[in-house]
Amino acid sequence: MSDDNGKIVLMCTHGPEDPERATIPFVIATAAQASDIPVLIGFQVNGVMLARKGCPEHVFAAGFPPLKELMDIYIESGGELFVCGPCVQSRKINIEEEFIEGAKVVNAATFAKEISEAANVLVY
Amino acid sequence: MPTKFDQELDCSGLACPMPILKTKKAIDALQTGQVLKMVATDPGSLPDVQAWTSKTGHELLEHEKDGDKFIFYIKRK
Repeated sequence: MSDDNGKIVLMCTHGPEDPERATIPFVIATAAQASDIPVLIGFQVNGVMLARKGCPEHVFAAGFPPLKELMDIYIESGGELFVCGPCVQSRKINIEEEFIEGAKVVNAATFAKEISEAANVLVY
Repeated sequence: MPTKFDQELDCSGLACPMPILKTKKAIDALQTGQVLKMVATDPGSLPDVQAWTSKTGHELLEHEKDGDKFIFYIKRK
């Protein structure tokens, strides 16, 4: 058994306009959780749209399970969702009313800390 | 002689990453030393199960291919 389970950070920068790019981070993240690999998902750019209630239900990428199913597994397994504050503000999203439970708005210093502490960072 | 197993899980038709997620759940429900037989049809199943067992410490006792089915016997650590 490998003991080099460094944390991976997956940055999701595409929303429902690109279902494959929106879904694959959750494919990797849930497999990481099942493999005891620490993982964090961050939403930036239009990826923040995926944190809106009702959005994941409409994202389907061919060849993959539905995004909503994967997101539910990720969150139920203790996965965190960090959402870029400025990206949210520029899209006039109402955090209190529109965000799914578990999504946490953070800013640059938080992302910088997580990225600097990660073994690997992938940007989708 | 066929490999003995304690629990069987059919992941036929499931897309990545569901076979691994369901395998983890099934293995977690077993006792140490018990064996799970898992069947999948996803073509990436073999490298995925090998990677998963190497990360988690569970033991891939045996694997075989039967038509489009990949069959795995995994022993819980």
